[in-house]
Amino acid sequence: MTTAGAAEHHRQLAMTALGNVWDPELGLDVVSLGLVYDVRVDGDDIAIDMTLTTPGCPVSEQLPAEAEAAVRAAVPDANVTLRVVWDPPWTPELLSPLALQRLGFNPRS
Amino acid sequence: VPGAGATVPPASVPLGFLAAGGVGLWAFGLVVWFAADRVVAAPTTSGAVSAVHVGVLAFLTTAVLGAVHQFAPVVGRRPLRSVTGARLTLAGMVAAAWLLSSGFAHGPETLVAAGAVVGSLTVLLAAWNLSGPMAARDGGLPVAGLRLSIGFLVATVAFGVVYAFDRQTGWFLLLPGRVLAHAHLGLLGWLGITYVAVAEKLWPMFLLAHRPRARAGAWAIGLLAAGKPVLAAGLLVAAPPLAWLGGVTVVTGLGCHLVSLVTVVRHRRRPLELLHGFVIASAVFLVVAVGAGAAAAIGDLAPADRARLVAVEVAALLAWLGLAVVGHAHKIVPFIAYTALRARGVATAPSGKPLLFSDLFHPGLARATLAAATTGFAVAVLGILVASPTTLAAGGVAISVSGALATINLASGPRRVSRHDDRRPETDLVPGRTP
Repeated sequence: MTTAGAAEHHRQLAMTALGNVWDPELGLDVVSLGLVYDVRVDGDDIAIDMTLTTPGCPVSEQLPAEAEAAVRAAVPDANVTLRVVWDPPWTPELLSPLALQRLGFNPRS
Repeated sequence: VPGAGATVPPASVPLGFLAAGGVGLWAFGLVVWFAADRVVAAPTTSGAVSAVHVGVLAFLTTAVLGAVHQFAPVVGRRPLRSVTGARLTLAGMVAAAWLLSSGFAHGPETLVAAGAVVGSLTVLLAAWNLSGPMAARDGGLPVAGLRLSIGFLVATVAFGVVYAFDRQTGWFLLLPGRVLAHAHLGLLGWLGITYVAVAEKLWPMFLLAHRPRARAGAWAIGLLAAGKPVLAAGLLVAAPPLAWLGGVTVVTGLGCHLVSLVTVVRHRRRPLELLHGFVIASAVFLVVAVGAGAAAAIGDLAPADRARLVAVEVAALLAWLGLAVVGHAHKIVPFIAYTALRARGVATAPSGKPLLFSDLFHPGLARATLAAATTGFAVAVLGILVASPTTLAAGGVAISVSGALATINLASGPRRVSRHDDRRPETDLVPGRTP
């Protein structure tokens, strides 16, 4: 596998792992919620930028740690670092169509 | 596997407060039932005063202090000064609530004095302990509101201590206005501002609502904090212009709080659910309270009728706060229990799906709790309004049922998940679960 191919493979593994990390209040995974801003792979390093729906969220300490643990479990030979970022702030516009549907999003509002 | 964060206290701290608060709600309903005839006869009789203290201290203050001991470290991102201090606060609050209530109901007066001393020491301990997370500079509106509300808690207790010893020494007459100043400091200054401040954080989060401008909440906290001392002073020294100025300011602040609720509901990205039922029912009681208070202040009424309207106002304020506390407990307790379960490696619900907050209580029982609490408070308020001890007693029974339902439901849900996980075969591991 080429270097680029390996990086993409690791990225896919990371995204799949993140897709299994659920927000326990909303019942949706962090990818569908639009909380994962970026996953960068550089050799054995995987860097993830993630946000939360609001600063001081009850799961603000737990959810990022769970996400990082999930990626570590999925790609055990990689150096995983997860950074919680607040810029740009999360807005409902980042919700995936599936998430909007599951949340009963009302387009009128 | 990640578990509890570094800043929050052990789950047993907030859950201990909230469990005691649940028992307090159950007991409050029973006390309303037992004291119904005395409450209706005159809201300042010993039985009525005892019932109000069970509601405000054993239920509301105990539960709210528990929530604040969890919420302030999360929002301020700083830990409590002492976990042991938090546990002592719980013990002291439970002791103070029941010493005071028993003393008011049955005597001797030394019980009231002992309760006042224990209560004041407990509140000072809580204020010191919470000053750690509340020193955060980036805590925003919720932390700013909590600083004010804790100040009002200390002021309320200071009034209470003086009044408790006045009962023995007779320094001054405990006129209804003076009692009301104390009651309003506790209900609106301490509990009211706490709820308004916490709601500004929790509502947008739980309703997934991003508002373009969210100034109503800040106005609500500012106006409540500014108006409350003026209203209390007006009631204390029987100065109607002062009381009016403070009252109008406080009511405007409460109006801003309701505007904030409306904007959150309008901008929500989630369908309305159980919590919103509690919150909206709670808001209706706030409107009733304001209406009753205004009618008592404006109306040309006989003293007994005015006293009854004021009692309706106080009961409706208790309903406003009570429904809000029970509703938010259905979010807070599952969150805390979830964190504790995840720390133990529990990742799935009995259904085999990822563990969610909603797996940690029975939705049917929660809806029954909402129905019982709303009906109970409504019937109780009606009973006071029409001076019917039987109606008030029926309301008390329903309130008591709601306390029992909420406590049992929220305590048994996490246990059910935990027991199910204990029975899971060792080989049946899920991703992320600690072997």
